[in-house]
Amino acid sequence: MAPISIDAAALLTSVQSIVPEIIVVATAIFVLLLDLAISEEKKHLLCGMGLLGIGVALFSVYALGQGRIEGFSGMIVHDGMGAFFDVVILSACALTFLMATGYSEWEGTHKGEFYSLILLSTSGMMFMAKGTDLMTVFLGLETLSIPIYVLVGFHRNRMSSLEGALKYFLLGAFASGFLLYGIALIYAVTGTTKIPVLATMLYDPRILASPLFLAGTGLLLVGFAFKVSLVPFHMWTPDAYEGAPTVVTAFMSAAVKAAAFAALIRVLLVALPGMQPVLWKVLWGLAVLTMTVGNLSALVQNNVKRLLAYSSIAHAGYILVGLVSGDVLGGQASLFYLLVYAFMNMGAFGVVMLIAQKEDEGYDIANLAGIGFKYPALGALLTLFLISLGGIPPTAGFVGKFYLFSAAVKNGYIWLAVIGVLNSAASIYYYLRMVVYMYMVTPDVEVAVPRPPRILFSMALCASAVVVVVLGIIPRSVLEIAERSVLSLLM
Amino acid sequence: MTGPADVIFYVLAALTVGSAIFVATLPNIIYAAVALLFTFCGVAGLYVLVSADFLAATQVLVYVGGILVLIMFAVFLSNRISSVKLSNPVHFRLPAAAICLTLFGVLAYTAISPAFVLKQEITYQPTTARIGELLMTRYLLPFEVASVLLLAALIGAALLSRPDRPDIPRPDMEEPK
Repeated sequence: MAPISIDAAALLTSVQSIVPEIIVVATAIFVLLLDLAISEEKKHLLCGMGLLGIGVALFSVYALGQGRIEGFSGMIVHDGMGAFFDVVILSACALTFLMATGYSEWEGTHKGEFYSLILLSTSGMMFMAKGTDLMTVFLGLETLSIPIYVLVGFHRNRMSSLEGALKYFLLGAFASGFLLYGIALIYAVTGTTKIPVLATMLYDPRILASPLFLAGTGLLLVGFAFKVSLVPFHMWTPDAYEGAPTVVTAFMSAAVKAAAFAALIRVLLVALPGMQPVLWKVLWGLAVLTMTVGNLSALVQNNVKRLLAYSSIAHAGYILVGLVSGDVLGGQASLFYLLVYAFMNMGAFGVVMLIAQKEDEGYDIANLAGIGFKYPALGALLTLFLISLGGIPPTAGFVGKFYLFSAAVKNGYIWLAVIGVLNSAASIYYYLRMVVYMYMVTPDVEVAVPRPPRILFSMALCASAVVVVVLGIIPRSVLEIAERSVLSLLM
Repeated sequence: MTGPADVIFYVLAALTVGSAIFVATLPNIIYAAVALLFTFCGVAGLYVLVSADFLAATQVLVYVGGILVLIMFAVFLSNRISSVKLSNPVHFRLPAAAICLTLFGVLAYTAISPAFVLKQEITYQPTTARIGELLMTRYLLPFEVASVLLLAALIGAALLSRPDRPDIPRPDMEEPK
């Protein structure tokens, strides 16, 4: 038979569209090989190499610019939206590596596999965020999930770690199955898995009304809802977040959520705008349920990690509020909030990581008692991140929530905004409860000395704090970038 | 329609269905797994018969080579073969029969329904070349991402299963207490 004709120019453009991903995967493999070559004392080099790779990848995102580069016959696209999420995901990954410098020494996770698994997961997230074909989205989802399952169970000698990993793995495998089955049903009806082509197919009312297509969309939604932990698909979240090494928890809460929401936003805004009249009711219900259940459960938690896990469920609900209307304004608010959430949540986990002396027992809320005045810097940082999570001005969390709820109001979903604001008010109780413990509760025993942070660790915390404060005061430019990113989808 | 192809079809179908019955009824789970092997091979043969050669090879590689071996290992590792009786108990016969008959009815109805157009002439064409070409052109990216996925899975599996310290080998099978 005839040899396969390869269009060299098209291949070059294709490669160009995934340059950041290629750099991340190459770094992962390099770190893995470097691990073999260097001695036990020099393992911190691995972390440095990883950071270098992430830096280069971030630069390549910047160098590719805002233009739209399609690659691999419509499998992936580097557009404004892809670039935005590349930056969010790579920043979360960089913060994880910066924090891992300290964490790995305390908990013995200085292994090449640890870093390369995080990098491989990051590459999966980026593929997922940029995928314009459901096949790419699914493979990206799996590539991000499998390393995370392993990382959650990284402490093989801790029961909670293994329990969390097993629960996450079993439920996650099911959720992947749902997603894949949904894609298969959609393919059966429309004959395509390409997201932009799906959008044009939906002008046909016969397809829109087809029960198979509705079932496919539903299953697709279940798969995404599991990954971003929307109620009622959130059961794994508290256990996996509590059991995972805290640095992995921080990474999961920020990056996995961003990647899954990126794909969800792309599917909702590009492929399914025709479904919006039906879909908004489902999303409305999910958002209300997620916010309410997440916040109410967080009220009664005494373990800081579990508390932040339920708070992250509630935040998934807030972010979903922006997607109910399916317009640019809401999408822009969701994008902005995802960025802000990554920084404030990872910052909060970082401080908590320093205060807790060891995994499991160290995360009781009573351990926070007396920290505030004895270690003012730590106390101030945690307070800043918590009030930002609670949505109190002048932090970025406030701006994010303001835009989410005002987008809902402008599109006429008044009740949704009211419920969201009420939920937000309730959440302030448990965030401030931690602050009260830090400043107003006298500890029963001597305040344990927090771990001395490494320089890079401090840098991560300071960077997160700067982002939270700066975006709280001058959010304009980032909001504009978010708006351009959403608009780039609809071009 | 008679001919050697039909004879082969009935032989393969008998092999598939016959061993499937054994899978369901044999009391010993190891025997059932071996019967499952013949079911999988029979299905692979049916695929060859309808000129789906790639699917047949995948069936053998994935189901016979992968999943069946996995089942065997799971059985071997999760039981003390010497003392615990490996059994495949049969409960809920009636509900199971009802569900299976309903499913059979639906599938049979669909198969003979006019939705499927019967092809008069079967032209045997190899599908592997076309699939390979597509993997290298249109589906290049998913193909490559899948390799990253497999790499991650390999690293993860090695990480979870290796002993903590390389100089002390862990006993490969622990006696349950």
